[in-house]
Amino acid sequence: MNMFSQKIEKLIFFKKNAGKNVKASICVMGLGQLMYGQIGKGMLYLTILACGVLYLISRGFTDFVGFFTLGTKEKDAWFGIEGDNSVVMLLMGILFIAAIILFISCYLSNVRDAYETQVVVEKGGKPRTFSEDVRKLLDDKFYKVTLSLPIIGVFVFSILPIVFMIAVAFTNYGGNIVPPKLVDWVGFNNFIQIATLSQFAPTFGKILNWNLLWAVSSTFLNYFAGLGLALLLNKKCVRGTIIWRAFPILAYAVPGFITLLGFRFMFSYGGPVNQMIIDMGYKAIGFLDIDAKWMARLIGLSVNAWITVPSIMLLTTGILTNLDMDQLEAARIDGAKRWKQFTKIVLPFVLFSTTPVLIGQFIGNFNNFGIFFFLRGGLYMDGYFLASDTDLLINWLFNLSINNNYYNIGAAISLVIFLITSLISLLVYVKSPSYKEEDVFR
Amino acid sequence: MKKNKFLHAADSVITHSTLIVVSLIFLFPCLWLILASFSKSGSIYTYEGFFPSEYSLDTFKTLFTDTAMYNYPQWFMNTLQIAVFSSLIGTFLVILTAYTMSRFQFKSRKKIMKGTLILGMFPSFMGMIAVYIIMTQFGLINNLWGVILIYSSSAPMGYLTQKGFFDTVPYSIDEAAKIDGATNFQIFQKIHLPLSQPMIVYTALTSFTFPWSDFILPKLLLKEKNLYTVAVGLMSLGETEFSRFAAGAVFIAVPIVILYFILIRYMISGMTAGAVKG
Amino acid sequence: MKRFLCLVLVALLSFGQLTGCTSTDTLDEKDTSAEESALKSIYNGELERSVTLRVLENDTAIQQGYFNQLIDAFNEKYKEYGIVAVDANMDERSNLADDGPYGYGPDVLYQANDSIMKYVKGKHIYPIPAESLEYFSQIPDNAWDAYKSEVDGKSYYMGVPVNVQTSMLFYRKDMLPNDWETNWDDNKNKVPDMVENWNALYKYSKSIVESGTGKYGYMRSLFDVYFSSGFLFSYGGYIFGDHNTNPKEVGLSAGNAEVGANVLLKLASVMNEECIDDSITVNGYSKIADGTYFATMTTPDVYTLFIKELALEYEKQGKSKEEAKALAEENLVVAGLPMLPASGDLTEENPELIPQKAMGGINGYAISAYTKAPNASLAFVEFATSYEMIMKRQELLGSIPARSDAAKAVGGVSEIVFNNLNEGNIVVMPSVTEMVQVWSPTETFFADLAKDAFRTSDKKYTSTEKIKSGLKVVDQQILDAIHTLSN
Repeated sequence: MNMFSQKIEKLIFFKKNAGKNVKASICVMGLGQLMYGQIGKGMLYLTILACGVLYLISRGFTDFVGFFTLGTKEKDAWFGIEGDNSVVMLLMGILFIAAIILFISCYLSNVRDAYETQVVVEKGGKPRTFSEDVRKLLDDKFYKVTLSLPIIGVFVFSILPIVFMIAVAFTNYGGNIVPPKLVDWVGFNNFIQIATLSQFAPTFGKILNWNLLWAVSSTFLNYFAGLGLALLLNKKCVRGTIIWRAFPILAYAVPGFITLLGFRFMFSYGGPVNQMIIDMGYKAIGFLDIDAKWMARLIGLSVNAWITVPSIMLLTTGILTNLDMDQLEAARIDGAKRWKQFTKIVLPFVLFSTTPVLIGQFIGNFNNFGIFFFLRGGLYMDGYFLASDTDLLINWLFNLSINNNYYNIGAAISLVIFLITSLISLLVYVKSPSYKEEDVFR
Repeated sequence: MKKNKFLHAADSVITHSTLIVVSLIFLFPCLWLILASFSKSGSIYTYEGFFPSEYSLDTFKTLFTDTAMYNYPQWFMNTLQIAVFSSLIGTFLVILTAYTMSRFQFKSRKKIMKGTLILGMFPSFMGMIAVYIIMTQFGLINNLWGVILIYSSSAPMGYLTQKGFFDTVPYSIDEAAKIDGATNFQIFQKIHLPLSQPMIVYTALTSFTFPWSDFILPKLLLKEKNLYTVAVGLMSLGETEFSRFAAGAVFIAVPIVILYFILIRYMISGMTAGAVKG
Repeated sequence: MKRFLCLVLVALLSFGQLTGCTSTDTLDEKDTSAEESALKSIYNGELERSVTLRVLENDTAIQQGYFNQLIDAFNEKYKEYGIVAVDANMDERSNLADDGPYGYGPDVLYQANDSIMKYVKGKHIYPIPAESLEYFSQIPDNAWDAYKSEVDGKSYYMGVPVNVQTSMLFYRKDMLPNDWETNWDDNKNKVPDMVENWNALYKYSKSIVESGTGKYGYMRSLFDVYFSSGFLFSYGGYIFGDHNTNPKEVGLSAGNAEVGANVLLKLASVMNEECIDDSITVNGYSKIADGTYFATMTTPDVYTLFIKELALEYEKQGKSKEEAKALAEENLVVAGLPMLPASGDLTEENPELIPQKAMGGINGYAISAYTKAPNASLAFVEFATSYEMIMKRQELLGSIPARSDAAKAVGGVSEIVFNNLNEGNIVVMPSVTEMVQVWSPTETFFADLAKDAFRTSDKKYTSTEKIKSGLKVVDQQILDAIHTLSN
């Protein structure tokens, strides 16, 4: 509340003090800057304005309307009737909203800039020249330059799709209603449908339990095995580390899905493992078959470790190079035991700089689609609603939605899963030292 | 003193035997795949126990010469192009992002940090539909650069690891340089880039291997067979082409292993302990 | 402008109908007019000039060189129009509904009926003026029905059937017992009983297994719905109601389907654990070749793979390449499926026999609704389904033609399958989109059933009643998957 009133005060102050050039900038982007003689910057702002207006006229407005209607005319190829593609319209509508936000923030920055210049001039200074502006951008505001490109990329290819899927959760897109059929907004219907489905909750609970267990245990297994391997190879007595390290790299170099298919075959009834068991005179073991609940889970866990440990090893090796050896040396001279050195110096250091990795691992494992899809896909167990006892939520999601084209339901379930998981990991992250105390090791 | 020596020897033995076990665990399945690719008959069931009964180079020969249906050399070049450029652009963007997020204090910084963390949690295949439609609107279907664009521009999402690394580089270096009159850009260029060599190598390696072995995105965006990547191509092989599959899978691993041997030196000895604190 | 013209055209046509035919039965007349106008608005009979047709063919046809011959012949014939057919160069299973709307799909596509028919709802493909094709009557109704669909209240043919795909029995002639003519040919028809009925095949398999040589008789991965569901169909089970068109009703447990499932369970007992997962599907080729298995069930299109493996095996034994191939072709026999006992009891002596039904598919050509040249595409389809091309296709690929004249001319397996299709023993895969929901629940059931043969203490399916209730669960799962989340 306090912040809000402060802002209002600022705004009133600004209104009182805005000079004619600032007002010109409020009316037309870049005009104020031009009046101050900042030709380059003024032209830049004018160009942005022109582009914005052009976009609005050429397609922005129709896109905006399309976002609400999601198409009014159905295509009929047989009679040569061109129609609307609801999905494209939805996407373009989202893009339009993003473009408008970008445009408004440009506009605001234009006004802020004009005002800043006014303050400088009032204090007797000169308006900055274009080259001064560029220099400032490369130094004080360097982050703006460096972040702009990544942010655009991430926005278009990571955020836009997510916003799109969130929007889809509120439509009836899916099943039989896919383009050329017209899609409509349905509000919270999808969520209601999921909530009222009696089979949904028990299966969700069971799978969520297993999924959490899986994510936690596989993250710990992978992380500590990788770290342990890196530390082992970091020991002074180890000769030929490059060669030792090459073995895990070999595993790392084979694409994951090939590894998974290979392991699936290895553990199948006709595979080499069972062949050896039979040759030794025992009965074949169904490692991954329908009754193999915990066996299959354990195999999944170890295969996942086999795939992931090498990359964690590489990463921690890289990070350990930054470890302060003097400190370790000092500890050794003080007579600290190995174990103590590890728990008091190495572990906090590595944990600190790899908490994001741990969280990334957790997320990756939580949403690990491939592992059980390749190892043990295509089973629906008793007591589960269209899922098997090794399926993770994401596999279940796949069964329920993509397999079936029920994109709307899939999006709604994703949203639910997403809210749960992001809340958990956000809490962990915000509590972690690498977020709270970023400069412990500086 | 003598006891110490004995302890050292015991330690060394234990360490090395652990390493041998670990290496075997990693080697064995790979070895199996490698030998399978040299199997004479195309099938895996003519094996004696774990290994093929007869070996030959035929599979590799067919892999590279019989290109009418499965054009492996072409797939390989496509994959190489995608992986190299995605790695170059992606690494650049990730390092830049991580550096910025670690070194600059600005208003929306914490928000961005939390935001990117959360965004990574959204089940990614749901967004694939949107990615596909975006690319149709850009006309970038059936275009290797379209795939490169997506890989490299979604790479900065994973900047947290690299940021963690930059966080461990002492701030005092920056300040010293600032006093000497260096701009932020110069500090990044002259000090942080060389210092972060191991991290850059790690990033380059991972952003090379991901596109190298991913098959979901290329499958989505590359419809024409001659634009396939190796992963997509291997998935399209018939079910009885096992040794061709194995050969393709083995050969695809070769560049990464080579890359490892080239790059590992930079990663391990990128800097010595003294260089940082000095 | 074009759109406007079309609208005017459609309006004029229907107006003409309304005013012209007031005295006759208007309802009927109006319906035919709707159909005609759809076909008319698509095909004007004039071949587009200088167009390139992108054709999606199946991989084997490309691999064996048939496709090249086809497009070469076509391009030669239509040279004067400048029509060129080329390989679409895409995955044979690619989805037109994904690619087409954005302009990346093929113009003409060759796929299985269930794939093609899922494009109908979104009108991703054009209907085909089937009745005006000269060979319309050569293709049996059972095949046409797979491509028939009701759109806007009228029925259309959405594709042209080319090949029939179904399960066949593959066995090694040289592995028959030496005395089969005296001891294994009860009906004295010079055909071994074990490839004629399942009772004899079961008995023979059992005797091989019990001889303790590590060899097996009939082997097949049982989880595979394509091959196992036929046993349910033979005793009254079906997938969807109304001849596989109504997904509101699922009937895998209907009739005495559990008897058929029991036959599978019994067969599993003379196999090994490999029948539970996909092991036999993958290793069948080499295990048949090295003599570990006597027989398996699969589709005729993989015939060449069996021959290749068997020839390799003979080469290893020191035969020359030609000898090995000839010997392989002689010893590997493809036959129709054995008959089932009406009682479902595989141990019964001299049982009353019923034909086995099997799931099948009909592959055919369809025309994309996103093509710029519908008339040229139609010309291509007509050309590719002509008698000469179908015969050539059969010759190079060994596929079974859906045309009766071609099937008769080829004889052998083709004729058997064709007759099976005609008599309704081939249950054509349902052409409704809901079919995707059938696989996982049914596969799970069959895998569970196969596993049950190897469970020691806690067997699940100890009686036919228990099997029946297991099948009912499958029905329910399929219904759940289809309906609970639909909008």
